[in-house]
Amino acid sequence: MQRIKFIDRMAQGKMSRRQMLQSASAFGVGALFLPRPTAAAEVLTCLEWGGYDSADYFQAYVDKYGAQPNFSIFAGEEDALAKVLAGFAADVMHPCNYSVARFVNAGVAAEIDTSRLSHWNDIFPALQSAEGVIWDGKTVMAPADWGNSSLAYRPDLLPPEFNENPTWAIFYDEEYKGRVAMTDNEMAIIIGAMVGGMPYDEAYKLEGAALEAAAKEWGTKAVNVSKFLWTDSSEVQQAMASGEIVAAYAWNDLIANLRAEGVPVEFAKPKEGMFTWFCGLTLLNTGKADEQAAYDFIDAWLSPETGKALIEGSGYGHANMKAFDIADPEALANMGITDPVAMMADTIVFKTPSDAVQEGFNKVWGDTKALKY
Amino acid sequence: MTAVSEPVAASRTRDAERVRRWLRGYGLLSPALAVMIAMLALPVAALVLLSFWTQHGFELDRSPTIENYAQLVRLKDEPTVWFGIPFYFAYPVPAILMIKSLVMSLSATVAVIALAYPMAYFLAFRVTRNKAMWIILITIPFWTSYLLRVFAWKIVLGFNGAINSGLKALGIIDQPLEFLLYNPGAVVITLAHSWVAFAILPIYVSLEKIDRSLLEAASDLGDSKLKRFLRITLPLSAPGTVAAALLVFIPTVGDYVTPTLVGGPGGTMIGNLVQELFLKQNNAPLGAAVAITMMLIIAVIVAIFLWAIGYRRIRSRRM
Repeated sequence: MQRIKFIDRMAQGKMSRRQMLQSASAFGVGALFLPRPTAAAEVLTCLEWGGYDSADYFQAYVDKYGAQPNFSIFAGEEDALAKVLAGFAADVMHPCNYSVARFVNAGVAAEIDTSRLSHWNDIFPALQSAEGVIWDGKTVMAPADWGNSSLAYRPDLLPPEFNENPTWAIFYDEEYKGRVAMTDNEMAIIIGAMVGGMPYDEAYKLEGAALEAAAKEWGTKAVNVSKFLWTDSSEVQQAMASGEIVAAYAWNDLIANLRAEGVPVEFAKPKEGMFTWFCGLTLLNTGKADEQAAYDFIDAWLSPETGKALIEGSGYGHANMKAFDIADPEALANMGITDPVAMMADTIVFKTPSDAVQEGFNKVWGDTKALKY
Repeated sequence: MTAVSEPVAASRTRDAERVRRWLRGYGLLSPALAVMIAMLALPVAALVLLSFWTQHGFELDRSPTIENYAQLVRLKDEPTVWFGIPFYFAYPVPAILMIKSLVMSLSATVAVIALAYPMAYFLAFRVTRNKAMWIILITIPFWTSYLLRVFAWKIVLGFNGAINSGLKALGIIDQPLEFLLYNPGAVVITLAHSWVAFAILPIYVSLEKIDRSLLEAASDLGDSKLKRFLRITLPLSAPGTVAAALLVFIPTVGDYVTPTLVGGPGGTMIGNLVQELFLKQNNAPLGAAVAITMMLIIAVIVAIFLWAIGYRRIRSRRM
């Protein structure tokens, strides 16, 4: 009643300015002293790769907390690192063996107490002690997923000679201009140098004038020949499914997804070599959420159920040995991913460049892209 | 006594009156002013400050230096050739992208004005009933997000997109056209479409304001339709057209979302470089220096443009 009267009088202009102010300040003072609902606990914030924000990969966390954490999707680890350094308060990040050192060196990674992870003892021992999981004597990454980076191609759209002897050189071949897609990072330069005959062990740490020269020769070619440089795996998958591109730098998930759609696609073992990476979860010291929530999230990622989802859904390997017991044997046979140790012995494992080398690559690659017209 | 004290008292009341008016004016302005200071002046000041620092790896060196700006203009002997133009800069990327962005924005602006002017003309002179409805119809594309509109162009121009499948169905081509997407042209098309509604409204307002009796007078005195348009309509609608051109040109130079989505590696603009410097290359001070330089260059270009067309004269002719 009182309220309606107040509005009526105000609308009719019968209220003096003083009365108005009195009411307004009474409301303000009242609002100030009213008890407020206590702030809810901070939600966990995770920096993730696109596609990994699906609840299949951390179901145990969702079961415990009743909701998904917050996600921020990144296209590459350097983007994610820059975001954290700029003040983005993330709790968990998903780097890989070759990039986790950047987070440690930047002082944003925290050591992981493996005794708080219930699935830790089921992780492949080779991964538990691999470089990148351990850095400077500390466990900084809980290994979760592993797989390959290689050349994916459409056998039906390429000549048989290529099928017999696939090579990374296709990304630097003017003949395929506009029909291939490289990834949008310095791998374009590194692989180019390898096509030119340099072993990976030298190419991954190119610096100074040698880097400039490699970027000028191979980087420029890759940028000019590629239809686009991909940062988002769904983009490259669509382009490959439609036949817009016939070859791409890709991960296992492209093969799994396109085969599921019935698109003929092969994951090559190029003569210059295919790559293996393993990634995992790193605890960041920039987060605001409860540390236990971060551990629960990491533990959920290490569970065999997550491994099963990862193997069957994306064609990646998982770090938990038990995952391979419960995963569909057909999916395993299809993808040829059972033993990370054998895989690593057989392929080129990505290496960690020094900070100076990584920064050099970032700059040179950015400049190379910008000069295309 | 009275002869002396009276003017003093009068001037005091005048002063008090002036102060009160001043307070009232700024009081009314204060919300807008506070927002402007918090959201525009402070961030720009922070950006300027940042551009005088340096980044060493993960460390930010806060000692003031003009090294970032020096880097942008430092010369070297051996030129980097881009599009046949030799650039004698040691770090030629910002200069090249700046020129490219200006050319792309300019093309988009010309396209926007060419599209918007006839539409605004039609709206102002031909539509007599339901004008409000027509204006609402023009704004319909703005009801969806900018990203969706850009993405729609990706679908229209794509390999299996609307244009390619349409032409294929008609039997005009048998291989999809490759040059539609992922190049500067795609960026210009997308920008032109996205900004056209921003241009229609100011042009429409200035056309609508034209005194119709002037047009009648011109016809009565023997002007042809074309001559009447060139001598009356075009000059009198110039303020709106110029405003529209600036409204499109200034924001599009620094755009980075559109080139990211439809530009491919060849369609990058200066905004992409700023983003890349801030994020991927983790060199915020240099990114800030590029952003500030870009702002200054745009400001100078706009000032020259307004001076060249005699904007002050055009404005003062308004009725």
